[in-house]
Amino acid sequence: MRKVALVGAGVSKFGVRKASYRDLIWEAGKACFDAVPGVKPRDVEGLVVGSVMPERTAFQSHISSLAAEALGIRPGALSARTEHMCASGTVGIRYAYAFIAAGLADLVMVLGVEKLNQPSGDEAILNMGTGVDREWEAAFGLTAPPCFALAAQRHMAEYGTTEEQLALVGVKNHTHASKNPNAHFGKGATLDQVLCSRMISTPLRLFMCSPITDGAAAVVLASEDRARDLTDRPVWIRGTGQALDGFQLTSLHEDYAHWPALRRAAGAAYRMAGVTAADVDVAEVHDCFAIAELIAYEELGFCAKGEAGPFVAAGRSDYGGDVVVNPRGGLIGCGHPLGATGVAQAAEIFVQLRNEAGARQVPDAALGLTHNNSGMGEHVVMLYGREAA
Amino acid sequence: MSYFRAVDPFPLESPEQTRLAAFYAGLADGRLTTTRCTGCDRTAWPPRLFCPECGADGVEWVDLPREGTVHGFTVQETGLPAGFPAPRVFAIVTVGGHRIFTVLLDADPARVAVGQPVRFVPLAIDPDSKGNPRWLPAFTPSA
Repeated sequence: MRKVALVGAGVSKFGVRKASYRDLIWEAGKACFDAVPGVKPRDVEGLVVGSVMPERTAFQSHISSLAAEALGIRPGALSARTEHMCASGTVGIRYAYAFIAAGLADLVMVLGVEKLNQPSGDEAILNMGTGVDREWEAAFGLTAPPCFALAAQRHMAEYGTTEEQLALVGVKNHTHASKNPNAHFGKGATLDQVLCSRMISTPLRLFMCSPITDGAAAVVLASEDRARDLTDRPVWIRGTGQALDGFQLTSLHEDYAHWPALRRAAGAAYRMAGVTAADVDVAEVHDCFAIAELIAYEELGFCAKGEAGPFVAAGRSDYGGDVVVNPRGGLIGCGHPLGATGVAQAAEIFVQLRNEAGARQVPDAALGLTHNNSGMGEHVVMLYGREAA
Repeated sequence: MSYFRAVDPFPLESPEQTRLAAFYAGLADGRLTTTRCTGCDRTAWPPRLFCPECGADGVEWVDLPREGTVHGFTVQETGLPAGFPAPRVFAIVTVGGHRIFTVLLDADPARVAVGQPVRFVPLAIDPDSKGNPRWLPAFTPSA
């Protein structure tokens, strides 16, 4: 297989945006092209667009072609949309990676975009039910919060994890987001604010949850030769893994505090890269809810099973700790425009490994990880390196 | 209303709409049923058209017990989809060796506990676009 690198990245402003689906594509695409001056839209051979529910929110299908036209790209090697719920963006990056590694293309853009706050707030929440099983889950009114709340209940009962430890994930990620001008939230949050925010689904409170966000992000992937032509600081894809335990809640591990699919996906990525969890300097993990970030520490191997609560409380996932987790603010602070999230995670790792992250910079970051999930039962992990091997 | 018909989140339950119609007919009769493989005798939850374990395509309908216990639960207080009242007690219940996702009806959220005994109750939901009644498998505290 050929080596593949990120050579450019850009994101739109995330939030409840006064902007259309196409506006968001324009914003992220333009930011990405601005980051890689050697690439003009016509040079891009392929486009993969991660987007979950534009049919429901924007009355729009045929997304990849719409985005290509908006950006002036004329794909000659690859044009596709990925829909894989919250992991759609990273799944798109894997497709582009495989295409380039196999020699079928040299330069591919992956763009993730979602316009969730449309046509109304009530409907935005109802739409989230499409990500679980209509017949056996959504029909009861299930969306994501109760799923992850079940995991939080179990983690607290089994390991003594506390509400305060869950809240500290919210504090950390809201604080990180305050240094990210593109984040949904910019004011930070105190422990009291998180613990006093309204209850969503016991024990998860508002500031322990990602909001419903509009946004887009884009990255450009290149083959080794093209990457070295385009930049002196490519960010190399070093490893990747994806694993599924199940779709319905009742198909997953009976202990919801255990996510074996994440362990498998991470293991595959670490083996491919020839690294271990201890080598990771900076990680963008899928904190759709605070409990997800805690369980991710454990399944990714940043700490032992059951020790995620003390790990966050000791600051070991923050600046100055073992690994800086979610420097851009995570899904809790940046927001979660579903299809855009995985691409925005990659964009953050891109600037971190190039030492371009400004106030958010993780000192001397050389190895970065992204973790994107679609429910508790399915996980995608990517490893990126400043060095090619 | 025609608009909300288009975003109907409830199952399509009639024999014209699903090959699992027997399950929903069972709910209407007050019975909780599922499928058992005639090849390897494994019982599935939820019901399905062929056995993923042995690959046999013969399944038969069997009754599940009406009693179970709470395996895990959460009380959603805010942020529910339109049309679903809060608070709502979502639960995984263990019934006849199967884990079933459901809601607990007539349950005091402050008194729900893991291990609590519950019993099956069919829950009537909005009829389909032709006016046919529809049901979901819900549970309620036994005591």
